Amino acid sequence: MEPAVKITCDAARPLVPSYLDGELSEVQASPLRAHLLDCPACREDAKQGKALARWFVPEAASAVPAGFAARVARRAFAGDPGLLVPEPPPVARVRPLLPFLLVASAVAAAVLLGLAIALQRQSLPQESALDAREMPPPWLEKELRLEDVTQTGR
Amino acid sequence: MLTMQDKEAHERDATREDAELVDEALGGNQLSFQLLVERYQERLFGLARHYTKSAVEVEDIVQDSFLKAYRRLATFQRQSSFSTWLYRIAVNTALDYLKRSGRSPVQVVEDPELTAAPQRAQAGSGAAVAAPDANLARQEVARITAEVLEELPEIFRTVLVLREFEDLSYQEMADVLGISIGTVESRLFRARARFKEALLRLHPDFATAD
Repeated sequence: MEPAVKITCDAARPLVPSYLDGELSEVQASPLRAHLLDCPACREDAKQGKALARWFVPEAASAVPAGFAARVARRAFAGDPGLLVPEPPPVARVRPLLPFLLVASAVAAAVLLGLAIALQRQSLPQESALDAREMPPPWLEKELRLEDVTQTGR
Repeated sequence: MLTMQDKEAHERDATREDAELVDEALGGNQLSFQLLVERYQERLFGLARHYTKSAVEVEDIVQDSFLKAYRRLATFQRQSSFSTWLYRIAVNTALDYLKRSGRSPVQVVEDPELTAAPQRAQAGSGAAVAAPDANLARQEVARITAEVLEELPEIFRTVLVLREFEDLSYQEMADVLGISIGTVESRLFRARARFKEALLRLHPDFATAD
């Protein structure tokens, strides 16, 4: 059996955490193990790492609410996006100008049309049948009116 | 009470591969997706509990993680395992949740990746921490650990949770976090140093006597 490759403390120390995590290949772990046997300082590092790891004790297992999986699957298939779906970024509301202009033009056109119809109606005779009565001229109308007054005054 | 048929069906379901259930869920089988949720719900509840103490919030985070996973199921590439893919969604959901609720944990001021490598030899130096006393109840140790983890910036907390509680390998952590294995190593190294420092600051009585 070949003797393990010797490594220095500088090479060994960075490998200790990975070694404790079981992440080193045998080729890397073997010389480190040999070094740890010989080096009290690096062995203390490893001991520290192990001591710290013992603090990571999980709290009691979380109780999953009854029927959770069925409820979630049902919601997923119903297309529920969930509570925490990121809200879409606020977009500055830009009022489109074209629809506004179209509506304003339509309103203005309707008003103008209404006015035009009203004016045209005003200029037309008020009665449909033509009045055939002969009207006295204005100077005669005045005299006739005076005559009426004198007759009633009497 | 479970009948013999129920037990047999349960055993049959337990041996089915995640990928098979994913395919069936994509094909519209709700029960297959429910089986995936049942398979991972406890682990996700455990993970979410490291980010909030509220049972309601934990449930919301886990539920949203699964709903997100379902919506993105078609994008699951199968280059990593389903569990790794699901963890990635769950961690991001938990961190998004903290940000949105305005309870983002302590932010990292320095970039740990830039400062990690040169400090490797020194980061673990200083006072040594003792292993938890054998007389200390398991729940008490867990409470102290949770208290210390809360002090850490979220990137350090997350790597410790994934490694120490969820037992993920460096490769799996790299896949979950979308970083390199080298970054996982350096971040984990610094996270442990920060954990030790916070533990000794909050509980100086746990320093070793020598």
